[in-house]
Amino acid sequence: MLLRKDLTVLRRSPLLLGALLAYPIVIALLVGLVAGYASAKPRVAFVDEEGLPPVVSVGGHRFHIQNVIDAVAKEVTLVRLSPREAGRQLASGKVVATITVPPGFLDELGTTVKSPHLVLRTVSGGLAPRVTQQVQSLVYQLNRKLQAGFIAANLEYVRLILHGGDASFIGRKFEVLGLDHMEQQLDALPQNQRVAKIRTFVRIARLALAQTGRALHATANPIELTQPKTKGRTWVLSAQVQSYGIALTVTFLALLLAAGAVAAEHDEGTIGRLRRGLVSLGQLVWSKVALAAVVGLALGAAIALVFGVVVEAGGVSGGEPWPRLPLLLVGVALAAGVVGAAGTMLGALAREARTASLLAVLVVLPVVFLGLVPRGALPVAYWVSEFLPFAHAVKWFGAALYDTSPWRTVGIETAWLLGIGAVLGALARLSVRRLAT
Amino acid sequence: MTSPLVRAVAVARRFGDVEALAPTDLELVPGEAVALVGPNGAGKSTLLALLAGALEPSEGLVEIHAAVGWVPQRPAHYSRLSARENLELFARLQGVRDARDAATRLLERFSLPTAPRPSGELSVGNRQRLNVALSLLGEPRVLLLDEPTAALDPGQRRRVWDVVNALRAEGGAVCFSTQNLEEVEHADRVLVLQDGRIVSSSMEEVFG
Repeated sequence: MLLRKDLTVLRRSPLLLGALLAYPIVIALLVGLVAGYASAKPRVAFVDEEGLPPVVSVGGHRFHIQNVIDAVAKEVTLVRLSPREAGRQLASGKVVATITVPPGFLDELGTTVKSPHLVLRTVSGGLAPRVTQQVQSLVYQLNRKLQAGFIAANLEYVRLILHGGDASFIGRKFEVLGLDHMEQQLDALPQNQRVAKIRTFVRIARLALAQTGRALHATANPIELTQPKTKGRTWVLSAQVQSYGIALTVTFLALLLAAGAVAAEHDEGTIGRLRRGLVSLGQLVWSKVALAAVVGLALGAAIALVFGVVVEAGGVSGGEPWPRLPLLLVGVALAAGVVGAAGTMLGALAREARTASLLAVLVVLPVVFLGLVPRGALPVAYWVSEFLPFAHAVKWFGAALYDTSPWRTVGIETAWLLGIGAVLGALARLSVRRLAT
Repeated sequence: MTSPLVRAVAVARRFGDVEALAPTDLELVPGEAVALVGPNGAGKSTLLALLAGALEPSEGLVEIHAAVGWVPQRPAHYSRLSARENLELFARLQGVRDARDAATRLLERFSLPTAPRPSGELSVGNRQRLNVALSLLGEPRVLLLDEPTAALDPGQRRRVWDVVNALRAEGGAVCFSTQNLEEVEHADRVLVLQDGRIVSSSMEEVFG
């Protein structure tokens, strides 16, 4: 009855209702934008000081430079710039990194015995670690493509040793006899024990060198990473952002709503009427907890839905919450209820609606910030946040949305939230008692 | 001897260090009306709230042997709900069987607007009438009224005293506070409070 009354009162407050309707849409759009930004390709300048030709030949293999770069540069957008322009855009933040091909790069590459260098410059902080990783990945992919050429070049030398022929090495031309012809030469010599030993060596060497191709491939890739396709869920930045977005909204609104509802009850004098045997203190607290849970549930669902639509429309991978929506909403209702208990306590302590709103805002910000502190950064802050609902709500939502097997985390965080809720509920009851009498 | 409908035994209330009401004894017996008079801050509202069960006593005891209706000094209702919605809500909370019917009767009796308009937008007089109407839910035998006629026009005041007189005639009891000494004519007894204590309980003492 009290919950229905509170919902009716909420419905009759156009400004608050408008804010409640707009809030999840704005939050979801922001979260969607952040998710999209997280998945966007950063601009990276490509500075060609060498003047790479369209086609490069390494070990007899021909590479179309731009095709190779396009094929491997899936995570960044490479833009060709002059050294000066690249430096200017890096300084202004228009590009997040520059990759420079220095003069002499092709000559070193062509030798196949010396590793040429690419030079990477990034901005400091921000996206730098991510760009560095992506460029490392790009160089790794390029190396894998070049390996084939290098191995082919090395195998050409092996073929020469085996079969003989004309060759060049570091710019010098020469003729190689080859093990095949060497055996013929040995046949022409007078046969004795020393010649027999050399013949044996040549046969063993021919057999061994026949295996060189496989050995070189194995040496180039001592460990190959294979990734079988599974139906597992993904954990991407967009998912984290969504969890924080919902937790922030639920914490903020549930706290404010419950605090405001109790304080308004006191402002209007109705708490005195209710306390005359009509409603127990427990029922009064529960009605506010239920109000926070119901409104939090509605807002959480709205954010998750809008976020899902934004993510789908933006083609961001790893942010599809649909199958786990029911589980998420259980967590949202639980977290909102727990925060509602805290709000009830604050509202009762504040005694009037304006002070309650201000107090709720002042409390919610540090609670949220504490929840954002990583364990390694500031252990004290981390442990304080462990006894507040926000951090557990974030873990609950993250597990519900994106863990392949969320049940252990969900169980632990549910226990935490229930425990915190029980303490906050008891404190809220004490505060409301003080308010009502 | 008639047994009291409400009995306060050495009931007292402190707010922090402030003694709002010193230990006070009071009985309300069927058919009587008691007026509480005294300056602001004398303890009249505190005594009425303690008798109504809206405040917990710091000391002493309040025994209630009948349904009690309470009209607080400041109208106490949900301003976003209409007069009807307020009446129906509190009727349901009080366990009134037909809440809708009870609300309709009180709306008519106090000429309250039936339109679904938030009660916070009603005139001061209408809000005070709603305040009185809410106290009559559940057909109480005891009415505790804290300056009930403040902000009411003469016609509405008469209607409130009609309610008081009807209740007394049916064997109920009434205790009201007032700043208007003319209204004590509706009382059988007058208690004068000052600084949280009853300083006089005689009509003659009050009016010479």
